[in-house]
Amino acid sequence: MRSAPVTTYDLKLALPLAGFFALFFVAPLLILILVSFYTDTSLTQFGLVQYARFLLDPFSLSVLVSTLWLGVKVTLLCLLLGFPLAWTFVRSPRLAQGVLMLIIVLPLLTSVVVRTFAWIVILGRQGIVNNLLLSLGLADTPLRLLYTDGGVVVALAQVQMPLMVLPLITALSRIDPNLRDASSALGAGAWRSFIKVILPLTLPGIMAGCLLTFAAAITAFITQSLVGGGQMLFMPMYLYQQSSTLSNWPFAAAISIIFLVAVLGAVTLFNLLGRLSRGYAQG
Amino acid sequence: MIDRRQMMTTALTLGAMHAFPQLTQAQARRLVFATFTGSWEEAHRDVLVPAFRKASNNADIALDPLLSVDQIAKVTAARANPPIDVMLHDPGPALVAIDQDLVDDYPIAQSAHYNDLIADAQGAKGPAPFFQVVGITYNPDKIKTPPTSWSDIWKPEYKGRVGITNLNSTLGTGFLVEIARSRGGSEANVDAGFKAIEELKPNLGAVAANPGQLATLYQQGQIDIGPGNFNAIQILKARGVAVEFVAPKEGAIAFKTTIHLVKNSPNKELAFKLIEASLSPEVQAKLMESPYLIVPTNTKVKIGGEVAKALAKDHDEMKKKFVFQDWAAINKQRSAWIEKFNRDIKI
Repeated sequence: MRSAPVTTYDLKLALPLAGFFALFFVAPLLILILVSFYTDTSLTQFGLVQYARFLLDPFSLSVLVSTLWLGVKVTLLCLLLGFPLAWTFVRSPRLAQGVLMLIIVLPLLTSVVVRTFAWIVILGRQGIVNNLLLSLGLADTPLRLLYTDGGVVVALAQVQMPLMVLPLITALSRIDPNLRDASSALGAGAWRSFIKVILPLTLPGIMAGCLLTFAAAITAFITQSLVGGGQMLFMPMYLYQQSSTLSNWPFAAAISIIFLVAVLGAVTLFNLLGRLSRGYAQG
Repeated sequence: MIDRRQMMTTALTLGAMHAFPQLTQAQARRLVFATFTGSWEEAHRDVLVPAFRKASNNADIALDPLLSVDQIAKVTAARANPPIDVMLHDPGPALVAIDQDLVDDYPIAQSAHYNDLIADAQGAKGPAPFFQVVGITYNPDKIKTPPTSWSDIWKPEYKGRVGITNLNSTLGTGFLVEIARSRGGSEANVDAGFKAIEELKPNLGAVAANPGQLATLYQQGQIDIGPGNFNAIQILKARGVAVEFVAPKEGAIAFKTTIHLVKNSPNKELAFKLIEASLSPEVQAKLMESPYLIVPTNTKVKIGGEVAKALAKDHDEMKKKFVFQDWAAINKQRSAWIEKFNRDIKI
């Protein structure tokens, strides 16, 4: 018997995983799609009622838009705060890197619920921020920070920060330090070197970080509902309400499918931008 | 000789049996009781389960702490061979479970305790072993004059300090219905309630996502007054948080927590024994004590302790002071109300 070349793997090795995915991911997804086409909660008649109900309703659409917009805001904030952090990390001596890495990864090691509760303590009426503002005389009465859009964005940005910083660190540490030196030797200032050399070379990391942060931020049910409260409606809460409180499975299924398609659309757009920028980086 | 293929098959089978133990236990499994999460689970594990085991010759029982809606989803998914034998429900979900034909009639004729329950707690599809009571919660450190009426929550001095929940919870929906009733509305028409919440907006410091979160907000000083569940508040109080509960003079809102035999359960007899234990005066009296403070429904239980002090000193007074709501009427429109709340209530 002739042995197979050792450097190529048999695709059959992927079969167990493929089977697992087919059974536990693809099949439920197909069922979800099927359920979304029922017109009534007892699942007897087919129709497009649920989709029409969502897509023709300005309120539902506004929930979708505000969820995606929330994702954009969190992603931008993470990028803005995460880039300098990743930059500092890459430029630090080895010992400091160990400490920094621990700090960066620490949020991932504590539960989302705990991190979110910490934000409730920070942003509350008698929280750290309000106490500071009151004692400095910058405010007369406690400001409402919790249950506001800003509060949700800041809390989500902290919770999802590692997802942005880690890919950035990978991208930044792959850049040859000589490139920067060469750029400045050729007369480019710090900003010019950054924009013309560093930024284009980090783009893959930025794209990866943005994708992860965006996807995590828009689906973060716990943080959205605890910091946003019961009156700020985003897609995950909308879905939960319809499926759990009201047992309206067809509408809930339709909401999930629409959300899924919208997110896929946003991700495709991201990827497109990434491909364009890669062209820019190499051109 | 065993070849690799056989080894693989055996390993996979063992693996599957480990991952899905129900495969092997489908025929005879122990009694599964779906209770609520948190303090309910604790109370049931510590008091109800031991009483049941004593009454059933140490039969095996598993607690499956789930929200009502999840209990219904789990049973609906396997009607013929349900993974749960006994369900516990708030009034809204109880009616859903009954409508969907998930529960059996309770065998009243065989029951030793059913006829001792106060009338509001009786029900052919499942009796209520406990009441949940909603009144006004406040922080006694910040609010020196205890509130006496629901309308106190609207006082301008509580600007930014009131907390409520949205309508996903029984608490939030019950509160809406109650304030609608106090302003001339009813279970069928809560417009007055929505108008009242609109007027409450300047006072609202939080619209919590669920009652559990609402309770913690007192601890953090985010809110100082609002509707609250008697048990949840007592638990906070026992942990040293500055909170007090008062029953408003209009009457405290009482919800039945009903217990149900699941249709097609393979453990009918044990399930009946568990429900009997939950209705018994012994278990109810024990659960009324600190730290559980669960309001009993059996008239043979002599009411005492914190329950007597804060709510009612006997079952006659209970009947007078508790307000029961018509959840069959509420369920009909709840979905529309939730939608209205989604759209209109923004703080």
